[in-house]
Amino acid sequence: MTGKNFYLLENKTSKNKSESNKNKIILNTRVRLARNLTDYKFTSICDSQEKNILLKKIKRYVEEIKELKDFRFYSVKSLGKIQRDLLFKDYLITPGMANRMQGKGLFVKYGQDRGESSAIMINEEDHLRIQSVRPGLNISEAYEEVIEIEKYFEKKLSFAFDRNLGYLTASPINLGTALRVSVIAHLPVLAVSTRIADFVKKLNQVGCLINGYFMGNSEVIGNLFKISNLVTLGKGEEDIVEEMKAICLNIIDDEEYARKKLKESDLLGIKDNIYRSFGLLKYAKILSYEESLELLSIIRLGLDLDIIRGVNDFDYFELINKISDSHIILDLEISSSVTDDELDSIRADLIRKKILKGTD
Amino acid sequence: MNCDFCYNNEATIHLIKIQGASVERINICKECAKDFSFFSEEDFYNDLARILYKFFNISTNDHHTGRDKKILRSISYGRNRKCPFCGIDLKTIKKIGRVGCSSCYSEFKDVLFPIIKSIQGSLENKGKIPVNTSRKIKLEKNIRDLRHRLKNEVIIENFEEAARIRDKIKKLEKNRYDR
Repeated sequence: MTGKNFYLLENKTSKNKSESNKNKIILNTRVRLARNLTDYKFTSICDSQEKNILLKKIKRYVEEIKELKDFRFYSVKSLGKIQRDLLFKDYLITPGMANRMQGKGLFVKYGQDRGESSAIMINEEDHLRIQSVRPGLNISEAYEEVIEIEKYFEKKLSFAFDRNLGYLTASPINLGTALRVSVIAHLPVLAVSTRIADFVKKLNQVGCLINGYFMGNSEVIGNLFKISNLVTLGKGEEDIVEEMKAICLNIIDDEEYARKKLKESDLLGIKDNIYRSFGLLKYAKILSYEESLELLSIIRLGLDLDIIRGVNDFDYFELINKISDSHIILDLEISSSVTDDELDSIRADLIRKKILKGTD
Repeated sequence: MNCDFCYNNEATIHLIKIQGASVERINICKECAKDFSFFSEEDFYNDLARILYKFFNISTNDHHTGRDKKILRSISYGRNRKCPFCGIDLKTIKKIGRVGCSSCYSEFKDVLFPIIKSIQGSLENKGKIPVNTSRKIKLEKNIRDLRHRLKNEVIIENFEEAARIRDKIKKLEKNRYDR
């Protein structure tokens, strides 16, 4: 498909929210801009006093902007361990930020849809990071939002900029547009197919970085991959956005093709696999987070391929964000002294309630 | 062929990165590749220090090209050079994989630019520019964008549009020198 067709597809999804659920291969979109102020040292070598001065300055600006009044401020150091873990999972703070919290702040606004959020991160790797997260494939919408937020800052703050290197960032990896677009893709069939090596090579060739979203010892868990643009300099913002859109479309095509081929060549094998996973989810009393991801991924595939019956349609990405240890503890207000087995048992019940028909 | 990272094992994986006109080859052994395939984003960014280290090291191992020699010279002369604005030295930049302030890029241009070029494949910003940038930079950026468009129009043999763009560039350039 061409970029133009793809654009139509995306427009449709942003107008009609239920449409975006149809795209079950790209589950989530994140767009992030990095900016630094002129005349200040970068966060990497600031002491806590310097960071606090900067935090106050930026915080005051944000609070003065009436368009940003829906954003809620969090001082990272005042958050509990579990809350920080949740923010980390939502990509709102980096692990470095979770550990070294002095002078770091965060403005967040959650959208109406679950999985939709906007954030302004202060004193992370760069002075300012503006991020927009959308469910499904919604690169344009997320990009427009970060640019709009940036405009409010641009009026009042002077950003470090060089005419050759573009926006100056602490790491040379982000120079230029300082724009990072990443999507989370669910690729259960590609991940196990022999074509995965070619697929990764192809993505690398077009300047994309592909990682496992959840990692075990060395393997990817839950067939979730994070794909982002590697190059930020030498391309315009729109080029990056358009390229990433086209790449996502290709990823969808590749996975769909692999699914079709698999269904043709080994329908019995895949049915067996899906129903085995179903059996485990239905009857297991203790489910670790990792095992849940693996099983839910296969059940989701069964639904996508229209192979399985007796299961509610569910949003894979939304569900896995409800069943992590931290989410369970926080959502159900459980004491954090809960044992691992107890958590695993609560998780197994939660999943059953959510996906088995007739248990709600 | 030995692995580019550990130098010990036989490289079994050969990556070729093509970006613009530059072609870069990386040879990795199975053991080192484990660290590289599918590592999480955080690892990748933390690993920048290692990537930088790799480029620094390659430049000390490879004496063939003039460019690399240049990098080598600048590093050996300026190993303890400090950025006058933030005080960070090259050794620290190498260690943490991040610079200390915006002036570092111009201060350590000789060392950083070749590295940026190999990471990004370009040293020419084509993205947007801040609203409060000086008119001069805006004008230059305009001209650069137009030149880029001109090239594309010539490729698709749309000479009419190309001529229009050429005239526009001429006009803008005249403006620049008059100022």
